[in-house]
Amino acid sequence: MDFKTLVPGIGILKGMALTMRRMFQAKVTVQYPEVVQDISPRHRGRLQLLYDEYGTLKCETCFQCAAACPIECIDMGGVDTKSRFHVHWGPAEQYAERREESALRRSGRPVPDRTFDPFAAIDTAALDRILAEEDYDPRRMLTILERTQDAYGSLTVAALKHISHGTGAWYAEIYGTASFYDHLRLEEASGHVFAICRCPACTFRGAGRVVAALEAALSTRFGQASPEGAVRLESGACHGASPERALVTLDGEVVHDVAPDAVARMASQLRAAHATAGRA
Amino acid sequence: MTLTRSWSRLTPAGKIVVPLLAIVVALTVALLLGMVTGIVPAITGAVLDTLEANVGIVRFVVAILAVLLFTIPTAFIVGYLELKAIAFMNLRLGPNRVGPWGTLAAAFHGFKILAKEDFTPTGADVPVFTLAPAVVFLAPVLAFLVLPFAPGLFGQDMNIALLYFFAMGGLGVVGLMMAGWSSFNKYSLLGALRAAAQIISYEIPLTLSVVGLILLAGTLSLNQIVLNQQGSFLDWYVWQQPLGFAIFFIAATAEGNRTPFDLTEADSEIVAGFATEYSGMRFGFFYFAEYVNVFLLSALTVVLYFGGWLAPIDIGAVLHQVGLTFDPALDPGSLGLGLLLGILIVPPLAIVALALPFWAFRSGLPFWKALVVGFLLFNVIAAGATLLWAVASFEVVEGLLWFMAKTYVFVAILVWMRATLPRVRIDQLMGFAWKWLLPAALVNLFVTALALIVIDAVKG
Amino acid sequence: MSTTPQARVRSLDDPELYVETPATIFDAIPPYPPRTEREAEFYSVREGEMLINLGPQHPSTHGVLRVVLKIDGERVVDLDPVLGYLHRGVEKICENSDWHMVVSHCDPLEYIASMFSELVPVMAAEKLLDVEVPRRAEYIRVLACELNRISSHALFMGWLALDLGGLTPILYGFIERDEIVEMLAALTGQKLLFNYMRIGGVNGDLNHEFMSRLGDWMGHAAQRIEDSQTLINENEIFVKRTRGLGVIDRETALRMCLSGPPLRATGIPYDVRRAHPYGVYPELEFEIPTREEGDSYARYQLHLDEIKQSIHIIDQVLHKLPDGPVMAKLPRLLRPRPGRAFAAIESPRGQYAVYAMSDGTDQPFRLRIHDPSYFNLQSVGLLTPGHLIADTMAIMASLDPIMGGVDK
Repeated sequence: MDFKTLVPGIGILKGMALTMRRMFQAKVTVQYPEVVQDISPRHRGRLQLLYDEYGTLKCETCFQCAAACPIECIDMGGVDTKSRFHVHWGPAEQYAERREESALRRSGRPVPDRTFDPFAAIDTAALDRILAEEDYDPRRMLTILERTQDAYGSLTVAALKHISHGTGAWYAEIYGTASFYDHLRLEEASGHVFAICRCPACTFRGAGRVVAALEAALSTRFGQASPEGAVRLESGACHGASPERALVTLDGEVVHDVAPDAVARMASQLRAAHATAGRA
Repeated sequence: MTLTRSWSRLTPAGKIVVPLLAIVVALTVALLLGMVTGIVPAITGAVLDTLEANVGIVRFVVAILAVLLFTIPTAFIVGYLELKAIAFMNLRLGPNRVGPWGTLAAAFHGFKILAKEDFTPTGADVPVFTLAPAVVFLAPVLAFLVLPFAPGLFGQDMNIALLYFFAMGGLGVVGLMMAGWSSFNKYSLLGALRAAAQIISYEIPLTLSVVGLILLAGTLSLNQIVLNQQGSFLDWYVWQQPLGFAIFFIAATAEGNRTPFDLTEADSEIVAGFATEYSGMRFGFFYFAEYVNVFLLSALTVVLYFGGWLAPIDIGAVLHQVGLTFDPALDPGSLGLGLLLGILIVPPLAIVALALPFWAFRSGLPFWKALVVGFLLFNVIAAGATLLWAVASFEVVEGLLWFMAKTYVFVAILVWMRATLPRVRIDQLMGFAWKWLLPAALVNLFVTALALIVIDAVKG
Repeated sequence: MSTTPQARVRSLDDPELYVETPATIFDAIPPYPPRTEREAEFYSVREGEMLINLGPQHPSTHGVLRVVLKIDGERVVDLDPVLGYLHRGVEKICENSDWHMVVSHCDPLEYIASMFSELVPVMAAEKLLDVEVPRRAEYIRVLACELNRISSHALFMGWLALDLGGLTPILYGFIERDEIVEMLAALTGQKLLFNYMRIGGVNGDLNHEFMSRLGDWMGHAAQRIEDSQTLINENEIFVKRTRGLGVIDRETALRMCLSGPPLRATGIPYDVRRAHPYGVYPELEFEIPTREEGDSYARYQLHLDEIKQSIHIIDQVLHKLPDGPVMAKLPRLLRPRPGRAFAAIESPRGQYAVYAMSDGTDQPFRLRIHDPSYFNLQSVGLLTPGHLIADTMAIMASLDPIMGGVDK
């Protein structure tokens, strides 16, 4: 142990001189509530959805982020573009349209929440059987979904969740599959159904004009329901059964007067009846 | 019933203030009654007579109380210095929200520690575990008794004061070992053993370095040592014993378990050492004791080597040379009615006068705020003036101020070292004490003795 | 401490040990019989020795690391590091996720220097896909990595001083690190786990805020770091505590598979950037600093030298930065060809490598991560016996382990 190195020598004194100098320099502390540091525009930590300059939400609920998330922590909630399907699950704090509502809810104030209904549970016995028969195989998703729809009438949220848990496929994927196919319904079939055959024979007899008139009357498109869900337009099959006029069925029963205005009038009446019935 | 109902409507602060008010009112009424009937003067007379008869004991009790009460603000101030000064050296701000410039932070830390859970670990030796913090705290407090804060202001003027001081310093070792052994924990045991080894081995250079000074001073009484350094700052012992001072300061740093010798509480190695199993006020006691010890060691350095409560130059003598004499012996009673007028008139005038510039030149300031500023300034000036008068007229005040200032310089140096230096290892520490400090202290002793003999021979 | 005579030699066969008496309740000896010879030898305590846990909760183990020390008084006789307290199953998680998601899973492996831990699986995927990364992206990668290296080294020096007792250098280190990390936040959006590297390039181009901060910083970087280090560089106490401590010689270093600063401090100039060049490092000129002594002080000095070299590299990159895209065109769903790829880079701690196996699907079949801290930490068991407890910290801190990488 040589003398120079342990007796308080030059090194220690230099160090102490440095700290004494630093004592009088400007301090680097940022006094937080009074001074807020700028956040870089690329900062990813803000849990909020952005609005564009017109005030509309930029998020289109395209599920890309949910599909890409490594830990599958993103759940989506949204309404489709014609405000017909409400898809709601997952914690409301995280996403899309319910952030403000969940903040309201957490604040203890009552929340008027038309779009959020906790999804109803289902009896999973039938679904378990289906899944077991399909061997919990996500590659047979279409079959599973069709059988579930047959068993339950529509693909409810609870059913899709159960399928997700059983097969291991992501909910987002299953939802995507379900919404891709026309014959799969995500909500209960409700209201009246106009089924129009689009085979060449019926079209030759004026089914196209009937479809156009119904589309106008119901303000919807072929294959979908009217905005309030009262009446749906679907495609039917005449199987060659009606040679002299197009086949139009209302709730399974054949409509005899297939003039476009008559059918349109019928549709409007049904819509009006639906609008006044049962709604406060 | 109305009492209980309105009791539950009080806030916690109210629940303290209302009973307090009630007690104050009751006591005032009792006092008035007593004074009117003559009971209170009789009692006070008897008490004062007994006190006068046993001045010695009274003085002793007052000294003890004063010392105990003094340690609390000292610990808070030293703690605040640690928090703030180390923060400034680290280029950060430290506490600045709690009081003005964060001054209440250390105090609130103390109160917070009172509120923490106080538990005894499984397997611990409970009586020893409970008493250890008290012993560790008592050691520096007992040593305070002999420190001369000002001329005439000390606990006891023993003629073996220095020996008593070092003995009390050694008492801390017992407390640390009790703490380390009784917490049923290997880390604590290691910490306690390190602490014992460190303190005991540094006691020897500490005492030996002071022996040279004792030879010079001829007495062990701290008061006498200070008085021997009268004159100007050139008479201080630090110039006559520079090596002794250096050894003493280093050994004192080690005695106080301060960085760079703080391995007993080495945070990063043995997680708080002997105090690992302590929490709540017991832990607070250890840190209290450490801060008091810091003050104590700095105070001893100042007393021994830097003239204690003596001013560097005697200002009175200098002023006298220049021709200014200053007779501060004001007798306020001689002013008579003028005093009453002075008290009534001068403060409001001064407040308004001090407020006017602020109100006139700061456009956004409403008049009442300017008055508040004026009031505060007036307080500062009045306090400053009173202080100056006290310093000029009472030796005690002047001596106390110098003592405190010099002590806090050394406290600041100790804090500065803590901010800057890393820790030494236990074997390096022991090697340093035994292989370097001890021989250096002996060399110091021999040289001092030799010098004394030579000077005596030359003179006589 | 048990006082019965037959319990003096505490072997794990001793039935008394399974009884929880106050003497055994806090003991570091595990309650199951020894599984290996080394365990049996380690946990049998001779007269005068003591087993003490430098437990997972400790201010100085760099993360959650448990080290069981067998001490004789203050001297360490033997050392047993117990890993796994931070094991998160990253490799397994990566097997279940997309190739793109591997980036954000591997991010927190070396969380202080996460650019490196993201870069490696990305490079492995690029090898499997035969993707050509645009040159601008390569340069930006080098820039980001070197900045991250400097911030990691700044933190290392602060840590080393903190473990030795100095309270101030770590705050000075954090001031440096703060500036760099704010810069990287302007570039990537985050301050700690950047998630910036992408297969085929990087996530976003340089922006004005990043460049202005970088310019400000470059102006005074080297000087500031030198300045802060005067506090400890020549401090006698610091030098006394680190010089001659934990000396590794060349054969031991090679045998223990050390890499990075611990290896270069022994004199072997092995740097992956020169030995197995990747990216645009062949076009950049920099030296490989080495030291001869191999002790803790040499490792500390080496980090300072490396910071200077990194600043030099950043300078060159800024001068040579080409224009172009920052990301190659790749499909969203990546299916690399079945095969294996090995990618290695030089991270602040050493050679960071990934051995990736792909089976042709969009999920990696296996991602084996070779983390430098894991190998560097092993040498603690060789270096510490014979020194004091306090030296354990100095040695461990100078090897710069990050438990995120050690435990994965």
